Amino acid sequence: MKRTFTALVTVLLGATVVFGVASFLHVSNQQNPPVMATVNGTAQTSQGLLPHAFISLSTYPDSLAGEHGPSGGVHPDWVSYGPSTAISLPAHALVTMTITQYDSGEVLNNPYFARVWGTVATPGDGTTDGQMLLDGKPVSQVDPNHIGHTFTMHEITSPGQDSLFVSVPLPAVPEEEVPDSGYSKTPHVITFSFITGGAGKYVWNCEYPCGDGTYRKFGDAMAARSFMSGTVTVA
Amino acid sequence: MSNSVETQQQSSKFAEWIKRPYLRHVLLIWIGLTILLEFFGPVQARLMGAPASESMKAIEDTMTLFTYAAAPVAALVIAVVLYSIVGWRQPKGAGPSDESPAIRTNGPVTTVWVIVSSLLCVFLLIWGLGEMNSLAPKATSAKPLVIDVIGNQWAWNFKYPDNGNIESNQLVMPVDQPVIFHVSSVDVVHSFWLVQLGVKVDANPFRVTLAHVTPTTLGRFDVRCAELCGLYHAHMQTDALVLSPSDFNQWIANGGHA
Repeated sequence: MKRTFTALVTVLLGATVVFGVASFLHVSNQQNPPVMATVNGTAQTSQGLLPHAFISLSTYPDSLAGEHGPSGGVHPDWVSYGPSTAISLPAHALVTMTITQYDSGEVLNNPYFARVWGTVATPGDGTTDGQMLLDGKPVSQVDPNHIGHTFTMHEITSPGQDSLFVSVPLPAVPEEEVPDSGYSKTPHVITFSFITGGAGKYVWNCEYPCGDGTYRKFGDAMAARSFMSGTVTVA
Repeated sequence: MSNSVETQQQSSKFAEWIKRPYLRHVLLIWIGLTILLEFFGPVQARLMGAPASESMKAIEDTMTLFTYAAAPVAALVIAVVLYSIVGWRQPKGAGPSDESPAIRTNGPVTTVWVIVSSLLCVFLLIWGLGEMNSLAPKATSAKPLVIDVIGNQWAWNFKYPDNGNIESNQLVMPVDQPVIFHVSSVDVVHSFWLVQLGVKVDANPFRVTLAHVTPTTLGRFDVRCAELCGLYHAHMQTDALVLSPSDFNQWIANGGHA
């Protein structure tokens, strides 16, 4: 009887520990509500007439304007994307994304990410496939020595999920134009378009090492969720 | 005369030993487990998909053979452990004996164990060395294609230095042509794993490591990172496309676009 009771208590304790760990992981992986792309009309693309969706993001030199709230959360001085790092896009649509870049920067450690990858022409703005609009001017690459961040979206290779790889460089705002408080009055505005496939889950991250010096500046904001990386849900 | 008596005595000892119930039980468990392991063990060598290169075929054959060879050994160890736990457990209510039985060595068992283990190890060593030798680059008339493989947190990119420095986020190769990878990283240590083609090599920061393969099958395969490299390590994956030579040349002519 005593042995049975001990075994039962042991099993219950084990189940409690497992449940606790699972709950902790679930809560810690929850993200703020995603920023949703808004469909506004249709657009003629190489894949025919598709819904045309629009979405806007920004990159900041701190965490005061993103999903961590006005206080910046526990790391207000870390660089961040906003308004959310969780992005929701419509499937089988032309998505035009605008990123306003307020941060300074330095040299990209891989020039590959100074080029524009995976984009298509945005109707009416003069860009072609493989280009983005930088402050109103179509470009296919920028100077890798003055990069603020990148927006690089990729996927887990899984059966049935369409491939989606988009990467655009976000040039740095000159250091002297980044104020000690508040944000630059002359941010870079980057606009680009891409076509989504079927429903799927993807991730994005910044390829410019903009964290701390823990390891080649890949610490802090580069090593934590909800700052310089996030998820993309295509539905 | 005395030799004959000794032989008879030894035969009698062996006959007595072999009749012991625990030995029969252990033998039965061993045979059952061996059959199970021989049947299901090689499955793990198939989990990475059908081989798409001679290298992967050699790796899969080696894993399968080693599993077949190791299965009886593993089964014997498990059988003895299982029987020790279940068959020799303390009877309920009985206290531990004051004195354990004396432990004596068993010469014939030790001899057989050492000889069989040694033969098995030597056989596997010779097989392994032979397979390693077969993986070495072979002289061929086909010019190897050089591809720079660069690991970044958390994406791969590939450059084709002999083809106008074309860059791609997908690994594209022609079938039946040797490929030499120059593998490196621009941040932390990654591991370039071309799953179905049997290539896995560390991508070290700012150091170039060479690897080679000759794809033998057309299709789409997996490229993964096999070294825990940070937040989105699990997402550091892309596709490898093995194309016909004409399709590959067309891909090159298009500047790396399909």
